[in-house]
Amino acid sequence: MALRTEELILNMGPQHPSTHGVLRLVVTLEGENVVDVAPDIGYLHSSVEKMMEYRTYIQSISLADRGMDYLAALANEMALLRAVETLGKIETPQRAQWLRTLFLELQRIASHLVWLGTWCIDIGATTVFLWCFREREKIIELMEKSTGGRLHYVYFRPGGVYEDVPEGWTDGVLAFCDDFAQRIVEYEGLLTANPIFEVRTKGIGILPRATAINLGASGPVGRASGIDFDVRKAFPYEKYAEVEFDVPVRQEGDVFARYQVRLEEMRQSMRIIRQCVAKLPAGEIRAPKVPITLRLPKGEIYTRTESPRGDLGIYLVSEGGEHPYRVKIRAPAFSNLYALTEMMRGWKVADVIAILGSIDIVLSDVDR
Amino acid sequence: MASLLDRVGTGLQALAHGLRLTFATLVGPKNTVMYPIKKVDVSPRWHGLLGLPIDPQTGNDLCIICFQCERVCPSRCIHIEAKGKGKDRLLTRFDIEMDKCQYCGLCVEVCPTEAIVFVPHYEASTYNRANLLYDLEDLHRSAPKEPIARGVIK
Repeated sequence: MALRTEELILNMGPQHPSTHGVLRLVVTLEGENVVDVAPDIGYLHSSVEKMMEYRTYIQSISLADRGMDYLAALANEMALLRAVETLGKIETPQRAQWLRTLFLELQRIASHLVWLGTWCIDIGATTVFLWCFREREKIIELMEKSTGGRLHYVYFRPGGVYEDVPEGWTDGVLAFCDDFAQRIVEYEGLLTANPIFEVRTKGIGILPRATAINLGASGPVGRASGIDFDVRKAFPYEKYAEVEFDVPVRQEGDVFARYQVRLEEMRQSMRIIRQCVAKLPAGEIRAPKVPITLRLPKGEIYTRTESPRGDLGIYLVSEGGEHPYRVKIRAPAFSNLYALTEMMRGWKVADVIAILGSIDIVLSDVDR
Repeated sequence: MASLLDRVGTGLQALAHGLRLTFATLVGPKNTVMYPIKKVDVSPRWHGLLGLPIDPQTGNDLCIICFQCERVCPSRCIHIEAKGKGKDRLLTRFDIEMDKCQYCGLCVEVCPTEAIVFVPHYEASTYNRANLLYDLEDLHRSAPKEPIARGVIK
């Protein structure tokens, strides 16, 4: 008598520790092979877009901090303010622009460190988690010295930044960069040549280039699949046009390529930070005559920025009042989550965790 | 055979390297703080609890009751009431619902007289939510002798 097999539907989450938030994955399994994956989102929906319609632009900054991607608060502030400043034609002083670029790159390193640590703990490397958070703590302390917050800063303002950095702060940044350059080598020593890590990541969860483009994957996920696109290069904002950096691109499209891209991005961020510190001019940090209750002219605009997760866009419609008429957020983690099903189909159930971690998902960014 | 020896050699090398690191970390400086016993210092710009400093010359509040903080607060957690007119205006109520507060600092930023400041204190947890409603007296008590956060942008 032949043995009968049937598909098994497995619910992963929303309380699973490896889903990085409240994500529910409905995994269809045949034996140990993944047949289909359906991500179920919405558990962390906080209606940021709607709430922004009832807040003035400066009040929305704190909302963008929390309601969107909470691991990269400044990247969200930048996305919102880029839309506001472009529509309102607000000029930002040079020093503020350099400071913003510096802070955004610090934020990118911090965000990638959280990703590296938590992802490695998912696939069984506990040491990296502790090391990553040790370095992240230094970034958070730098942020705290300058902005007063540890995760949610509310530091950027329309037309500049809130406060100038304290005396000697840039020395601390340079000291961190010097230290961190060695730390990345340590992480690579733990992971890159590690045979267990290689088996878990190399050739796993391949996302072909064409699929990645069709599904709108951006950021490190897209770049690991061979899409040579970075908003910082393609549509430079702040001072990205004036600093030198490379955009790491890998053709493999597997989990290991995503890891390599993010590690290289951290190195490039350090390069940008060093240039920012060197070129930081003296002067004003905030444009004069930008009122607290800012009124934007009537119109609509779509701007995009490169958050640590990818292409973060804001579509903003203003009716001329002090509130936006409509805000639509194009969240990078949401689009990358689309690609998840394509990546996971056909792999073993143990790879689900490794693949899910590799797209660096933040559920707050997905649901908004 | 040679490859097996190679792998054994690499393994032993890695083991020695790892153990050396372990013992070096054992005696090296610690990165963690034994929290409830020792506490971490916060920066002078810390977005912590809020306080209302009293003007040492007059003994009154620095607040000029302009309601700007109440209006700018994204969480609408500040409630101000006043009585009197002109120079005799007196603050009768200044409540901050600290459970709603998101520590964004907009109230500190807009205050024209630095009457509301951040206090470098971060332990506000309590067993009862009602304890998080800070009234005028609480805010006076928590205020530092000198303003520590700069509220006015130059």
